[in-house]
Amino acid sequence: MIGKIKDFLGFDIKEEKYKLSHDDTFGMISDEKKPDKWVFSTCGYCGVGCGLYIGVKDGKAVYTKGNPKHFVNKGTLCPKGLSEHQMINSPHRIPSPMIRKNGELQDVSWDEAFTKVSNEFKRIAREHGPQAVSVIGTGQFLTEEFYTLGKFVQLGLKTNNYDGNTTLCMASAVMGYKQSLGSDGPTSSYEDFEHADTIFLVGANIADNHPILTLHINKNPNKKVIVIDPRASKTSQMADLFVPIKPRTDLALYNGLAYIVMEQGWEDEGYIKANTNGYKELRKHLQDYPPQEVANITGIDVKTLYELAREFVSSKKVITGWTMGINQSFMGTDTVSAIINLHLLTGHIGREGTGPFSITGQCNAMGTRETGFTSSLPGYRNYGDEEALKEYAKIVNVPEEIIPRERGYKYAEIIDAIDRGEIKALWITATNPLVSFVNQDKLRKTLAKLDLLVVQDAFMGDTAQIADVIFAAATWGEKEGVYTNSERRCNKANKAVEPLGNSKGDFDIILEFSKYFEGVNEMLFPNWSEPRDAFNEWRKVSKGQLCDYSGMTYELIEELGGIQWPCNEEHPKGTKRLYSPDIPFRTADKKAKLLCLEWHPMAEPISPEFPVILNTGRTVEQWHTRTKTRAIDILDNLAPEAWVDISPKDAKKLKVKSGDRMSLSSPRGRVDDVVVRVTESVREGTVFVPFHFNEQLVNTLTSESFCPKSGEPNFKQTAIQLHSSEVPEGIHLKEEESSGAIAHHKVVYEGVTHKEKEILKSL
Amino acid sequence: MQENMSTPLENFINYKADTNMQCGNYSIDIPPLKEGEQYRFHFDAVACVGCRCCEVACNEQNNNPADIKWRRVGEMEGGEFPAFTQLLNSMSCNHCIDPECLIGCPTESYIKIAETGIVVHDDDTCIGCQYCTWNCPYGVPVFHEERNIVTKCHMCHERLDVGESPACVQACPAGAIEIEVVNVKEWLECDIDEQANMPFLPDARITNSTTRYTLPDDLPEQMKEMDEHILKPAHKELPLVFMTVLTQISLGGFLALFLGDFMSLFGFENTNWIMALLVMIPAAIGLPLSALHLGRPFLAMTAMKNIKTSWLSREALALGLFTGLMSVVVASYFFNISILLRLILEAVTLSIGIYGIYAQSMIYRIRARPSWNRITTNFKFFGVAYIGVFLLAFISSVSSIHEAIIPLTTLGMLGALAQLFFSYEDIRTLDAKENEYQLQRTKRLLNENFKKVKVIRFVTLIIGGVLLPLLALVFVSASSITAASVILFLAMLITFSSELFDRFLFYTTVVPLGMAGGFFVGKQRG
Repeated sequence: MIGKIKDFLGFDIKEEKYKLSHDDTFGMISDEKKPDKWVFSTCGYCGVGCGLYIGVKDGKAVYTKGNPKHFVNKGTLCPKGLSEHQMINSPHRIPSPMIRKNGELQDVSWDEAFTKVSNEFKRIAREHGPQAVSVIGTGQFLTEEFYTLGKFVQLGLKTNNYDGNTTLCMASAVMGYKQSLGSDGPTSSYEDFEHADTIFLVGANIADNHPILTLHINKNPNKKVIVIDPRASKTSQMADLFVPIKPRTDLALYNGLAYIVMEQGWEDEGYIKANTNGYKELRKHLQDYPPQEVANITGIDVKTLYELAREFVSSKKVITGWTMGINQSFMGTDTVSAIINLHLLTGHIGREGTGPFSITGQCNAMGTRETGFTSSLPGYRNYGDEEALKEYAKIVNVPEEIIPRERGYKYAEIIDAIDRGEIKALWITATNPLVSFVNQDKLRKTLAKLDLLVVQDAFMGDTAQIADVIFAAATWGEKEGVYTNSERRCNKANKAVEPLGNSKGDFDIILEFSKYFEGVNEMLFPNWSEPRDAFNEWRKVSKGQLCDYSGMTYELIEELGGIQWPCNEEHPKGTKRLYSPDIPFRTADKKAKLLCLEWHPMAEPISPEFPVILNTGRTVEQWHTRTKTRAIDILDNLAPEAWVDISPKDAKKLKVKSGDRMSLSSPRGRVDDVVVRVTESVREGTVFVPFHFNEQLVNTLTSESFCPKSGEPNFKQTAIQLHSSEVPEGIHLKEEESSGAIAHHKVVYEGVTHKEKEILKSL
Repeated sequence: MQENMSTPLENFINYKADTNMQCGNYSIDIPPLKEGEQYRFHFDAVACVGCRCCEVACNEQNNNPADIKWRRVGEMEGGEFPAFTQLLNSMSCNHCIDPECLIGCPTESYIKIAETGIVVHDDDTCIGCQYCTWNCPYGVPVFHEERNIVTKCHMCHERLDVGESPACVQACPAGAIEIEVVNVKEWLECDIDEQANMPFLPDARITNSTTRYTLPDDLPEQMKEMDEHILKPAHKELPLVFMTVLTQISLGGFLALFLGDFMSLFGFENTNWIMALLVMIPAAIGLPLSALHLGRPFLAMTAMKNIKTSWLSREALALGLFTGLMSVVVASYFFNISILLRLILEAVTLSIGIYGIYAQSMIYRIRARPSWNRITTNFKFFGVAYIGVFLLAFISSVSSIHEAIIPLTTLGMLGALAQLFFSYEDIRTLDAKENEYQLQRTKRLLNENFKKVKVIRFVTLIIGGVLLPLLALVFVSASSITAASVILFLAMLITFSSELFDRFLFYTTVVPLGMAGGFFVGKQRG
C-alpha cells in the first residue's frame, strides 16, 4: 500500500535498474544486466554465423554482444542476435520430457520417455520393418549432434527414411552443386563480396534475412550490385541495377544469359576447355533460349538481358549470391546449375571475388549437409559409392552391411509415406513442420495418422503440441559444439548456462536414447561422453574429403575465429574458396559439368479463380516458425503478426487500404485476418506474406510442388485469390492477362513422385 | 564450464574492428572538439537496409522495455514498381542547437552539455510533466511509465566520454549511423537547410537540429509514410482538461466580481465574500488537479523553477499566485478592509490571473503541435471565462442582488457567442496550408473518431450559452427570479460540460509533427 502511494507520488524513478556501469570487456553497459562472465560463442539463428559473447549473470544469460574480432560480423549482430539471450529464457521452453496420457501432455522421467519410445520403435520395426520409423531433422543442431543423430538413425534404427528441414531451404543448392561440380559445398567466402567488381544477388533478400552480410558488401568501395528479384525487397534498395523478374523464371534468365555469352563469343574458352565437360551439348540446348523468348518468359527486355550478360563478362570478378528465391522452386536444383553454368562459362569461379555462392538459411544447415547422413553418407560420400561406403565403415569400425546403399525418402516423401500408412512413427527434432511445410491442412491430417509422433525440441511449438512424446531439449547457449556457416566456416558455440530444468542437450538425448537399443550404443558410440568425442570422429571421417575438418580442433577454431574447410595439413588454417587451381572439381574426371537445363512454366499458373501469385519469405525481426522469437518482446513489438504486401492497383480493385484486414485463399485452404500493407514494392498481380506466423498460417495455401531432384518445395509461387470485406469475390482476371504456355516449354507434374522402393530387409 | 573459463576473451574497448567504418567497434575515434563545435549523428539513408539493429541495440544498452524506444526506425516509400524507393529513417535525438525540450522544461531538467553539445536529461529533477514530449517536434522524449519520468537518447555520452561507441553506431552493420563533429556556425549559416531535412520530418530550423542526413539522389517527389494508416487519438489529459477549464472559469468569475465591486462605487449593491469565495473555488480545485497528470506529483511545486524560458513555469507561478490572492480577497471582504484597498488588490489579482491564463494558453502555442499552435487556442482559453460570469449571475440571483442578473447574464451570453465564434474558427482554420498533413489528420480525428463529441459540444454551447440565458432574461423580466436561478444554474452546468468536451477534443485530436513511423509500431509515441 505504502509502496503504491509512493509510486503514485513518483518517489521512485528506478535509478538503480537503469544506471550504467563499467564492464572491462565491452565498456559502459546496463548495470542491472552486467554479467559475471562473458562466454565466447556463435549465433544460433541464421547461416551467416556471427561470432558473439554471451553475458552470464547469476547463471542466467543476460546479454549478447557481437565479437569484433570475428571475420563474419566484426562486432555487429542483427536484431535477433542482439536479443538472443532472451530466447533462452522464453516462457515457451519445455523443462521436462513429456508423454501424452489421457489426451494431455504430462511431465515424465527421461527413463519413462525413452522406454516408451524405444519400445514403440522396436514394435513398429518388428511389425512393419525398420523403415516404418522415420526421422525429420533440422538445420539448427550442432554438427556433433547431427553426426550422432544421423549415425544413430541410419546405423542404429536402420531406417534411411531420414531427412531434415534443410530440404525446405538448402537442398536445391546441395543437389545443384552436386550435379554440376561433383560435390556439395559453397564455393566462396563473404570476403569475396568485398573484392568483387559485380555482385549479383538473385532471389536473395539479404537485407531482411542476412543483414550482417551488408557489412561485407559495404566494405567494397567499387562494387556494382545487381539485384534480380520479382519483388522490390529491402535488398533491391542496395542495388545499382534492380531487375524485376517474373516469378519462377530465373532458370530461363540464366539460360538466356548463357545464350548471349555464347552468341557473342564472350565465354572463357581456355577455362571451359581445361575445366568443364558438356559445352557442345549446352550450346545446342540453349538454342531454345534466344533473347526474345527469354524476354517473353522473364519479363526482362532484350536490352537489359544483353546488359546483364555484358556485366558478367566485362567485370574481372563476378559473384552471384542466391538464397530461397532460387532454391525453393520446382526447378530449384536446375536453376542452381544454370547459375553455375554461367560462372563456368565465364570462368568466374575459384578466384578471389568470384563464385556461384549459395547463402545458407540456418545456422548449421551446412553441418547436416556434411555430416548428417541425409543427402549423402558423412563427408559428402555419395550413396551407392561402394568404395566410399567401405572407407566409412572402416573408419568408424562398423559392419559394411548396415550402411545404407541409397538415400531414403526425402521430407515430402516421408509425409506422403505417412499418408499412405507406410511410415508409422515419426521423430521430429528441432523443427516445426506445422508452420513451415506446405499444404498445412493436409499435413495436420497426415500427422494424425501416425502411431507415434516424437518431438525433440526446446520450445513448445505447434508440432510439439500434438506430439505423443516430447524429448525436452536444451537450446543454444546451453550446449557445446560447432556450427558451419555459408562460407564453410566452422565456428565454435559454447555452453554459457545449464540446460533449463530437466532438459538435456540433443547430443546427450541421442546418446542416452541409443542405450535403449541393444548393442547400439556400444557399437556406434563407444566410450562417447561429450560432443568432443563426436567431433573427433568426424575429423577422421572427413579427412581427405572436400569438407575436410581433420586439421581443426575446438581450440584452434576459437583461436582463429572460425576455420573454413577444407582444413588439413595442406591448409592448416582453412581455405577461403573452393575450386581454385589446386582444388579440382569432385567429379570422376575432375571437370565440372555444363548441364542442359529446362525451364518449365508453373503447373498451377494463375487462373480466373486464383489470379494472384503469392510469394512468401522471412522478415528480419522473426525467426522461422517463431518458436524462438515470439516471446522476445522487442522483436514481437516490431513485427507482431503477418501482413500482406499488395500493390496499390490491386488494393484499389479490392477496395482496401493499409491497415485493413483481408483473406487469402488457394485450392488448399484459406487464411483470414491478414493485415494489408499497400506498397509499390510488389508488382500488380503479386503479393508477399511472411511465413513465420502460425496465426496467419500462409503455408495453408502453398502447394505440393517439389523439385524432383532435391525434394525442395516450390514455396515462392502459389496462385491464390484475395478477399476483402468490400470485394469478397476477389480480383477478376482480364482475358489477356492469363498466360499461355510457350509451345516447347512443357508443364510437368510437380507433386511427390511416389517411387516404388525396395524396403531394405531389417538386418 | 572449464572450457568457458579458458575462452580467449579480449578487451574490446580498445580494439578496433577492421571495417573502415565506425560500426562494429566498441571504441570510437572522433576528433576532439574545437571552439564552436559539437557532436552530432550522421544517418546515411542510402546505406541503411532497415534491419532495426540500432533499435534493439539501444534498448539492450539502456535496459529499456520494448515499448520505450529512444531510437526508432521509420519507413517511407515512393515511386512506382519497379522504380520504387524505400526510404528509412533511423532517428534518436537530434541534439539540437536550440532544443525545444530544454526551453520548455519547467524544472530545468535538460542540459545541453557545453563541451559536447549533447542534450541530456536530468532524471532526478524531472517531475514527469511531459511538456518536453509535446515540445520536441521530433517526438524524441518519451515518458517512461515505470520510472514516472521522461527519458531520452543521450548519445551514450557516458560511453563517448571514455572513447566508447554509442550502441546504435556500434550495432549498424551497414555503417549508416555515425558520430561526427559539426561546427555550429557553419551548420546554421549554410548546411542545415540542405543536409538536416528528411521527408516527413519537421523543418530542421525549428530547433536547429544537428543530425546530418544522406538521402538518395533520385528521391521521388511524392513519398508516403508507411504508418499512414495509424491515426490514433492523442492522450486525453483529463486532469488538464479540468484544470484548464476550472481556472479559466475562476478568471471569468473574478473579472465579474471585480466589475461588480467597481460598480458598487457608483451606488450599486456591494459584492460580498461568498461571491469571492465561490469564484475562487474552481481554481482552487483545478490547480491541485493538474498535479495528477505528473509522473511525480510530490515534486509539483518545482514546476515554477524555470520562469525564464518556460511558459509552464510561468503558468504555474501566476495561477498559483492568482488563486492565493483570490483567497486574500475573500479575507479582505471578511475583514471589511477599505474598498479602495480591496479594489487595488482585486486589480492586481485580476492582472495576475489574466497573465496566468495567457501563460496557460501559451503552453500550447508550440510548433511541434500544429492544431494547438493557432491563435484560436488563446481565444478559446480566455473564452471559457463566460462561465464564470454566469456563475456570478447565478450567485446574484440566489443572493437577491437582482440588479446584477441582467447585465451579468447578458455579458456571459456575449462571451458564449464569442466562444461559439472562436470554436467555429478553430475548425475552419484546420484547412490551412501550413502543416496541412497534421491539421488534416486532426480534422479526420474530429470527424471520424469524435464526431458525436463535436456535435454535442456545439449543441450544448448554443443551448447552455445562448438559449438558456435568453430564457433566464425573460424570466428575470417577468420577475420570476427562482425560475431564472434554476435556468442559470442549468446554463452553467451545460456550458461547463460543453467546455470540458471541447477541451477533451483539444487534447485528444492533436496530431504532432514527427518522423514517419513503422508499419506496425507507428511512431511509437503517445
